[in-house]
Amino acid sequence: MVQKHFGQELDQLKNSLTQMTSLVTSQITMAAEALEKGDLELCRVVKSRDKEIDAYENLIQAQCENLFALFQPVATDLRYIMSAMMVNNQLERCGDIAVNIVQRAQKTADHRQLIVKSQILDMLRAAQSMTLDAISAFLHNDVDLARKVIAQDDVVDNFNKQIFNDLVERMKKDPQVVEPGAHLIVLTRQIERMADHSTNIAEDVVFLVEAQIVAHRELSAGSEKPSATS
Amino acid sequence: MENNSEKIIVNNLDLYYGKKAALDNINLSILSNKVTALIGPSGCGKSTFLRCLNRMNDLIPGVLIKGTVLINGRDIYESSVDVVSLRKKVGMIFQKSNPFPKSIFENVAYAPRVNGINNKKELFEIVEKSLRKAALWEEVKDNLDKSGLSISGGQQQRLCIARSLAVEPDILLMDEPASALDPISTSKIEDLIFELKANYTIVIVTHNMQQAARVSDKTAFFYMGELIEVGDTKMMFTQPTNKRTEDYVSGRFG
Repeated sequence: MVQKHFGQELDQLKNSLTQMTSLVTSQITMAAEALEKGDLELCRVVKSRDKEIDAYENLIQAQCENLFALFQPVATDLRYIMSAMMVNNQLERCGDIAVNIVQRAQKTADHRQLIVKSQILDMLRAAQSMTLDAISAFLHNDVDLARKVIAQDDVVDNFNKQIFNDLVERMKKDPQVVEPGAHLIVLTRQIERMADHSTNIAEDVVFLVEAQIVAHRELSAGSEKPSATS
Repeated sequence: MENNSEKIIVNNLDLYYGKKAALDNINLSILSNKVTALIGPSGCGKSTFLRCLNRMNDLIPGVLIKGTVLINGRDIYESSVDVVSLRKKVGMIFQKSNPFPKSIFENVAYAPRVNGINNKKELFEIVEKSLRKAALWEEVKDNLDKSGLSISGGQQQRLCIARSLAVEPDILLMDEPASALDPISTSKIEDLIFELKANYTIVIVTHNMQQAARVSDKTAFFYMGELIEVGDTKMMFTQPTNKRTEDYVSGRFG
């Protein structure tokens, strides 16, 4: 029976996405801990596990392609598979950012005070929270949580601006700060991108649940609905 | 020629086969120069509904029809309506192609001839025009004397469409016109439907969800004799409002 076969393939995709989200969550959590504690061993672990995320990205893309080609999904099924493809891509980038974070953590391990004073850890916690919430919203079709994530993006953007200005001031005052400061500016840019990817995932959740495209606009589209006759 | 005027307006249509209700209070407007797809599981009433649009059900013993079917503003079930004239204006294409056991030319020329056109030149013009409209002319123009039964299934179906077009209908009813055809022939029929809607109003019954999605502007979902939902095809296949519609178009039942 085709529908049963489709259901099985869809379950496999969901299972892969669950594994992928679990891996990305773990990578981001470890990267944040590595930065906070200056834990170089943890940095090494994060780097070594990135290939697993890349492999899942390829697997999920292939699963989505098969579902499109073999079953021609429509309506909610169609949106789920489209969302899965988009979220898959965002998750892989979040995985890359976890690696970038630990690379900067390795290069700034001797500058713990600078990291703490410049509020980078606060920014990272805010972005990390967005990512975990976005993943949770996707796994549970939680559109309220998704909207909360979208609203949080400004908080991280503001951190980014403040920290940039703060680091520039510190670099002006002390040449010793220039090199770690430059690494930390790159780091904050990465964290800001992580928040952006989380926002994208949250927008995908709104599309999945409400069939509304909310990216790049304030308001959701008022599209014509079919008329229910009974 | 494209507009959004209502070509067919169906009001409170009930149809009974004996005591069994096959259609229950159908209300549906079909727009001019649009393709409207009727979908639903077997026995849902979609073909019965289609046949109501040119009074084909009149031929079935024990059928009772209530309600009105307005075509161009006139109720086709009024006693004064000439059913033969009605069926000239509302042509029908069936699931299985049914050319006459005559030449390709005579298949298309048959109805105009019955209607009194005997001038050879005029008949030829009608045949050529109809075959061109049915996207068959280039394939058969050198073999017009060949039997209509000798060409492929896909060509036979387009010949039947040409035969319908020869009497200059306003509306074409199609009951699963491509269900017995291979993908290439199906594609040609679908392309043809797309082209024909510029000049005709088309209502198509199909079990092929992807075909409904590809060819139609509006889709109406029937279930157990009721019209459950009707809307723009794009919306019906992406955001149907009724759960039964979603379950059906997703292949979860039917």
